[in-house]
Amino acid sequence: MSRPRFWSNVLAVAYREALVLRHDRAFIGVVVAQPIMMLVLMGMVLSNKPANVPWAVLDRSESPVSRRLVEEIQASGYFRAPRTIHGYEEAREVLRRGQALAVLVVPDEFARRIERGRPRVQLLIDGSDPLSAARIAGYIGQIASAFATRDGPPAVRHAAPRLPGAIDVRQRFWFNPTLSDRKFFLSALAGMLLTNLCLSVTALGLVGEREVGTYEQMLALPTTPLEIVLGKLVPFVGVSYALLLFTTVAAGVIFGLWPQGSWLALLVVTLPFVLASLAIGVFVSAVARTSAQAVFITVFFIMPSFVLSGVLFPYQLMPRGVREIGALFPLRWYQIALRGVIERGAGMVEVLVPVAALAALFAGLLLVIRWRMKPRLG
Amino acid sequence: MMDPIIRTRGLTKRFGDFTAVDELAIDVAPGTIFAFLGANGSGKSTTIRMLIGLLRPTAGAIEVDGIDVVRQPRRVRDHIGYMGQKVSLYQGLTLRENVEFYAGLYGLAGAELERRWGALRERFALAEAEREKTEELPAAIRQRAGLALSTMHRPRVLFLDEPTAGVDVRSRGVFWELIQDEAEGGSTVFVTTHFMEEADYCDWVCFIHAGRLVADAAPEELRRRYSAGYRIEVALPEGERAAVGAALGREATTTPTGVALVVDTLGPDVLAALDRVVGRHPAARVRIEQPQMTDVFRRVLAAREAAPPAAG
Amino acid sequence: MSARRLWTLLRREVRATLRDPFTATILVAVPLLALLAFGFVLATDVKHLALGVHDASGTAASRRLVAELAANGTFDPRRFATRAALDRALVSGAISAAIVIPPDFDRALHQGGDPPAVQVIYDGGEAVLAGNAEAFLRSLIAATGAGLTEAGSPRGAGVEVVTRALFNARLDGKPFMVAGTFGFVLSFLTTLITAVSIVNERMTGTFDQLQVTPATSLEIFLAKILPLGAVFAFDVVLMVVVAGLVLGVWPHGSLLFFVVVSSGYVLISLALGLIFSATSATAAEAVQKTVLFSIPLVQMSGFAFAVRNMPTAFRWFAELLPATHYIRVSRAIYLRDAGPLELLPELGVLLLCGVVLIGLALRTLEARA
Repeated sequence: MSRPRFWSNVLAVAYREALVLRHDRAFIGVVVAQPIMMLVLMGMVLSNKPANVPWAVLDRSESPVSRRLVEEIQASGYFRAPRTIHGYEEAREVLRRGQALAVLVVPDEFARRIERGRPRVQLLIDGSDPLSAARIAGYIGQIASAFATRDGPPAVRHAAPRLPGAIDVRQRFWFNPTLSDRKFFLSALAGMLLTNLCLSVTALGLVGEREVGTYEQMLALPTTPLEIVLGKLVPFVGVSYALLLFTTVAAGVIFGLWPQGSWLALLVVTLPFVLASLAIGVFVSAVARTSAQAVFITVFFIMPSFVLSGVLFPYQLMPRGVREIGALFPLRWYQIALRGVIERGAGMVEVLVPVAALAALFAGLLLVIRWRMKPRLG
Repeated sequence: MMDPIIRTRGLTKRFGDFTAVDELAIDVAPGTIFAFLGANGSGKSTTIRMLIGLLRPTAGAIEVDGIDVVRQPRRVRDHIGYMGQKVSLYQGLTLRENVEFYAGLYGLAGAELERRWGALRERFALAEAEREKTEELPAAIRQRAGLALSTMHRPRVLFLDEPTAGVDVRSRGVFWELIQDEAEGGSTVFVTTHFMEEADYCDWVCFIHAGRLVADAAPEELRRRYSAGYRIEVALPEGERAAVGAALGREATTTPTGVALVVDTLGPDVLAALDRVVGRHPAARVRIEQPQMTDVFRRVLAAREAAPPAAG
Repeated sequence: MSARRLWTLLRREVRATLRDPFTATILVAVPLLALLAFGFVLATDVKHLALGVHDASGTAASRRLVAELAANGTFDPRRFATRAALDRALVSGAISAAIVIPPDFDRALHQGGDPPAVQVIYDGGEAVLAGNAEAFLRSLIAATGAGLTEAGSPRGAGVEVVTRALFNARLDGKPFMVAGTFGFVLSFLTTLITAVSIVNERMTGTFDQLQVTPATSLEIFLAKILPLGAVFAFDVVLMVVVAGLVLGVWPHGSLLFFVVVSSGYVLISLALGLIFSATSATAAEAVQKTVLFSIPLVQMSGFAFAVRNMPTAFRWFAELLPATHYIRVSRAIYLRDAGPLELLPELGVLLLCGVVLIGLALRTLEARA
């Protein structure tokens, strides 16, 4: 095949594809409805930061100082108004029914021990949701340890025994001082949307045509199968970049999250990612026999992709074997690059590793596709 | 005629701005084969779906076998059989399993099913296909199977929606013989098709165009009213042409091969004249060209455009 | 309603499904896949987390601190000779947490006066990670015998909190996610499969044909729902067993109660799938529509992100979803040994949703355009 005709053929197919896509309802859904829905979800709805936490207080001391402790915990804003309970059994029940996530048990000698030095309270938490449990315990612990026991005589305070080996830990959260989950989700949003787009629509497009028969018709035209496939993919590359820009700008305008790093790096790393994702879509369409099958396989590839790549759940915390499996998904490398550029101000240098990994994945996929499609198209 | 077994008045269906069926009024006599002819997109399938209660009309009344279909669509189910455009055989099942399935829904099972299906299987030549998976059956067999299934429970009325689409010409002929058998057995058959020539298999023809009824008569009648007539050609050796031409009348013309004549209908006098000609001239070969239904249809439309019908 | 007709419909449905190897595979493989994927996802116990260390002190005391951090495999210390190198690693994302030990660490620890100031830096961009790691770093530092003071807080005072987790004492993330995964699979997969099945029937015309037979909508509905319901009930049991054997997570409450409630929830999802399919022309469109709605539905049902944490308006919306209540029930049974009495309100809501959705589904089956 001669060079110049190859590219003009590809572009011709691409143009036709683009026209068809304009009327494809499923495509419009993926490109318009989903990004908006995900923006709302990620930016406004989903959060790991506890709020409206139901809790209960078993205050055996019932002294002004114990009430003040409860008020200070309440003032932190994470909790709802506490439920007052009167016994240990009730505490168990309330936790068991899920009516409270934490029960603060104040012993009756609390006020007395305050004067003597180190008062103690007990916190019973529902460990079902360990993420929330750990955080809530942490918050209460923080508040408690900062609790000024003003009631105690000044002398006691100054002469308070220092625990040997006390360490003053100063914590800092770089790049996201308020630990806003929103930035975490939104920065990887483009990755999720592009994965969805590239995978589902190519799988649908190629298989659907084979079923309807226009594929064979196309094979009869003076274009080679390779030109056809490439021509079909070109519009998606364009739409992917458009979607990336839309998401980035929307996150910036609506939520104030603008990329701290290099826009160029963002654009550069997107190309191998889109190519790799499209390649997966092509592979799925080659393997599936009906369009329903193709969509099924795609959807159930997207699911582990979202889970293991680290877009929603930190991959660093997963067990080692699972972590490595996640590295086979293009989305893993892309979200590392996205977060790097958007949140950490990374530049071209820092995205080199993700770019290389994505290029390697793409090359590998091409080999697999070629091996699989040769008997069919040859 | 006897009370019509299917009757519609003012039947209309609109999808948004688009009117698919417009004030349709038809009467179908029991025991007849009623053809509903029209081009693709003219409203045939919409009409049939309304008649069997699958689609709710925008306006109008439908009565099938005495049942008000608009108000009680579910009641018709026991009285009718239906064969849709896509023959609805379940994939992944053999033909036999499909038969058992549909029969079961009509309460047909056991010995009675065997009897009924045995007879149908014979008549419809489906014995070999019985154990095959339906997706592997060729189109002609699928059509016959679809028809067999639709009549298995001996419905009073059969609704067939483009039953011969996608089937070769010869199989179509066989298929229509089967339909005619059903009609002879007492069923009424309501058929939609876009093959105009199939009108000749039927007792009554309706033309539908852009949702409107444009003609409603027996095929012969339509030919009489709307065609250029029958073209009769008699091939003769040269010497005999003048004589035959004279015998057949003033309108006869001579052609390079013999004598040609165009008549409105094949009335008894014309046939008698031809008989005499053949008797006297053994070398004569008679060929009669029937007016094409497509031609008839075109003329019907043209006439309608020229003189739109008065209201009513 | 005729038992014989129903039996005829059921027989065909089961035959067709058994002969479709692809669907059968999906029905077994996907729940297991989901279980294994999600089971590992919410680890709040930090394990082998790369921790950058810049030890400017280099004394026995500082080395001991680092050793304690590495001791039970929680953190994998990675040493950086210079502060600049450490910072670069944070920016590039090679490490997500770092600890900086000041040069005067040893001296400050053993002398009087101010305690040594150790800096712990987290990549806040990885907010979830940071949130988790922080909690455990605190407890870890406390466990090394050192006291913990906030900068600027009154030293040596404050209240000590003794914490005890009543359920899931080890704060293992797996049971929480496993219980939630049932919600995910039974919402998403069931709806998807039903939608595709019905749309396929519409496309081949068999759906219309059925409408013209004496089969009633209720019979058609049951014939679709019962076999799929049975398959998914089997799936539930399969998932419980696999979760137990592979992930070590068994329900604390009654297994029977769990299977019964789950089967009921399956019916609700199946009805929803029917409703989705009513509005789609092709199988692919049905799938796209289902995916489009199901993903946010699952996200908002508290599967991975607590409903409690959402803004008020969205919280109200989330409470309307049957999935939200089912996931609550599932978690209550798995983790807190809850019984029907305790879960009465949630079960009530599910029952109500079921009645409404099944009614709607029947209506769509009857609907003529």
